Amino acid sequence: MRATEISLTGLDVEWRRLEVIAENLANANTAAPVKGPVYQELHLISGPRNDFGAMLNRTDAGGKGLDIDTLSGVAVQGIVASSSPPRLVHEPGNPMANSQGFVAYPAIDHAGQMTKMIETSRIYEANIVAMSLAREMYTKALELGRPR
Amino acid sequence: MSATPIPPIAALPAVTPQSIVPTVLPVVQPPGSASFGQMLLNGLDKINDKINNADSAVRAFALDDSIPVHQVTFALDQAQSSMELALQVRARLLDGYQQLMNMQL
Repeated sequence: MRATEISLTGLDVEWRRLEVIAENLANANTAAPVKGPVYQELHLISGPRNDFGAMLNRTDAGGKGLDIDTLSGVAVQGIVASSSPPRLVHEPGNPMANSQGFVAYPAIDHAGQMTKMIETSRIYEANIVAMSLAREMYTKALELGRPR
Repeated sequence: MSATPIPPIAALPAVTPQSIVPTVLPVVQPPGSASFGQMLLNGLDKINDKINNADSAVRAFALDDSIPVHQVTFALDQAQSSMELALQVRARLLDGYQQLMNMQL
């Protein structure tokens, strides 16, 4: 049942990615305090659970390529904040405004986040489809040679 | 204006087919007295573990839904599919037994 386990890691990662996107969208209007850092757009970094370079540079197989047994799905490698400068909005009445009357808002690409969110949802669904297909194959294999 | 000549297409390197099909299954050697009944019991223990996993996942989800739903449904599905496998083994075992019992002597 390795295929379902690989799909499960995909589900886990996409679930986390959605959490990060939700965090970004929730903080889209967070003004930075006058002497504090502004919220930065967060990115979830994911990668193969096994060391992909080592998988590719396998020397023991005589250059026959990847070993099927090293496939083990995806894992969250970490969350990284972007370093884009804040979006300065002139709001002199805002208590968070600096001496020039500017308020620092995070430079979050709203449309980009929405696109990523839909992408995340689709990949999640694709992993579910892959998982149910693996399940279907398992069930079919159980029917093999069954006495009627 | 001089055009650089296009190099001829090189022959593709020989591709050695990856050996996925002839996987040599490891010989399962249950420890101790390797009887068939013991193997069945070990399998039942594993199924029981999976059912317990699913049970605790459902319990954890009922208490606190911070764990992703798919982990709960995955644990349930794993338990169900191994249960189905066990039922198949049982059905075939019984079938073999009955064929032996109905044998005309």
